[in-house]
Amino acid sequence: MNNILLLISARPEDEAFAAEVAAVAALTCRVARSPEEGAEIIASDSPRVILADASDEECYSDLEAAIQEKVGLFSDKIDANAIHFITSQNLEKVPYLIQSPLFGHFIFRNYGNPKEAGAQYGRLVLATIQERAFGLEKLLQENAKIQTVKLQSTVQKQGAVEAIKNYLLAAKFQSRMASVIANAVDEILMNAMFDAPVDDIGRPLFASVSRSTAMKLEGRHAVEISVGFDGRYVGLTAVDSFGSLDKAKLLSHISKVYTEEEYKVKTSVAGAGIGLATVFRSGGSFFFSSESRHRTEVTVFFKRTDSFREFKDQFRFISTQFYF
Amino acid sequence: MLNVVKEQIGSILSIRLSGAIEESTNLEKLLGPPAPEMHIHCKEVSRINSVGVKLWIKYFQDAQSRGSKLKFSECSTAIVEQINLISNFIANGVVESIFVPFSCGKCRSELVGLFKTEDLKKVKFKLPTLKCSKCTGPATFDDIPEEYFAFLMR
Repeated sequence: MNNILLLISARPEDEAFAAEVAAVAALTCRVARSPEEGAEIIASDSPRVILADASDEECYSDLEAAIQEKVGLFSDKIDANAIHFITSQNLEKVPYLIQSPLFGHFIFRNYGNPKEAGAQYGRLVLATIQERAFGLEKLLQENAKIQTVKLQSTVQKQGAVEAIKNYLLAAKFQSRMASVIANAVDEILMNAMFDAPVDDIGRPLFASVSRSTAMKLEGRHAVEISVGFDGRYVGLTAVDSFGSLDKAKLLSHISKVYTEEEYKVKTSVAGAGIGLATVFRSGGSFFFSSESRHRTEVTVFFKRTDSFREFKDQFRFISTQFYF
Repeated sequence: MLNVVKEQIGSILSIRLSGAIEESTNLEKLLGPPAPEMHIHCKEVSRINSVGVKLWIKYFQDAQSRGSKLKFSECSTAIVEQINLISNFIANGVVESIFVPFSCGKCRSELVGLFKTEDLKKVKFKLPTLKCSKCTGPATFDDIPEEYFAFLMR
C-alpha cells in the first residue's frame, strides 16, 4: 500500500473535503474523475485510502464494475476498512451501499464547511491507517480532555448518563443537545453491557435478558465509557472486551426507518433495535472499531453548535473498522 | 426515572408524566390498566431511550387494542422527536399540542412555545418570531421544519 488517498469523484466539494482529509492523515491526495480512472490508479498504485462518490446506484455500480474489471473485488488491493463512500442521501436511501461487500465507511455529504469536516474526518482516517484504530484520543484534537470511567454494574448506567449530561451542560451545550447526547451514551452503553457479551461460539448471552436487570460487570464483562471534548467536538466511546460486533446486523439496525412501516414490538428479544438509528438521525456520527473476540469500541461524535437546527443538520458519517 | 400524576376527571383519566423513560420504567405499574379515555400530558418528559420507546409503544398499543381513546398533549421536544421517527408511536391517538423549540438570536437562550397542532397546520408551520423572555431579543424556531413537523405533514 502507498501513502495515497484516492478520491474518485468529479465534485469540487468532495475534492476540498478529501484534500483536507489527506492533509490531516499525512497522505498524498490523488483525484480520479471517473470510476475507470480510479480503478486504474487502484491497480497501479495501491492507495491506502479510497474515497468514492456513490451518490446513486448507477454511480456505485459503475465503480464496482470498474474495480471488478481492473483489480478484482476480492483482490488484496481492496479492503473495506479503507473504502469510504460519499453520498448526498441519508443511509436508508442507499441500500446498495449497505449490501455492498465493499462497505466500510459512509459519509453523508452535508459538509457545511468541507475543510472543517475534512479536518475532523481526517483524524479518523489517520486512526484507521494505524495498526489498530482504538482509543478516543486518536479521534479528537490533541487538546481534548478525556475522562474514562469503568462501570462496575449495569445499574450504574443511568448515573453515568446523567453525569455526562451535566458535563455537557457545563461545557455550554444546549440542554436539548445534551439530552440527545446523553441518549446516545445510554444506547452505546446498553449495547456494550447486554448485546456485546457472547459465548465461546458467538451466541448472544443476554439477548432476552431485561435491560433493567442488575448485573455485575466483572472480568470480560467490564465496560468502560470515555468522554472527550476538544472545544468543538465531543466524542464518547463505549468499550467492551468481546469483539462480537456483526457488520451486517449493525448496518441493518442503523439504516432502518419506522416512518412508513410500523415498529413491531418483539417480546422475544429484550433490546429495541432502534437506539443507534435514532442517534444517527439526531445528528450523531459513529465510529465502530472491532477486533474479533477481543475488543469493540463504539464512538459517537457530536459537534457543539450555536443552534439545534445546525446540530441536527451537522456533517455526519458512519465508519466501521473490523480486524479478524 | 419517570414520575406520574394521575387524575380522574369524569370518564377521562388525565396523566401527567415527568422525567426520563427508560428500561426501568414500568408503565403498567405506573399508569395502571388502560382507561376508556386517556389524556397524556408529556410536558416534562425530558428523555426517552430505545427500550423506553419499546415499553411505551407496547403499553399504548395494548391500550388502543382494548378500545382506549388516546390524546397526547403538551408533548415535549423529546416526545415530538419520537412521534416523528416512529409512525406508530402514538398508537393511533391524537396529538393535541406540542412544545416548539425557539432560540434567542441575542442571548442564545433556549425557549419553548406551546402550540396546538391544528393551529400549526393552519399557519402552515410558519412560526412568528417571539420575544425572548430573558433579554427580549428575537427568538426564532430552532429546528428543521420538515423534520420537526413531519408527523403533521404525513
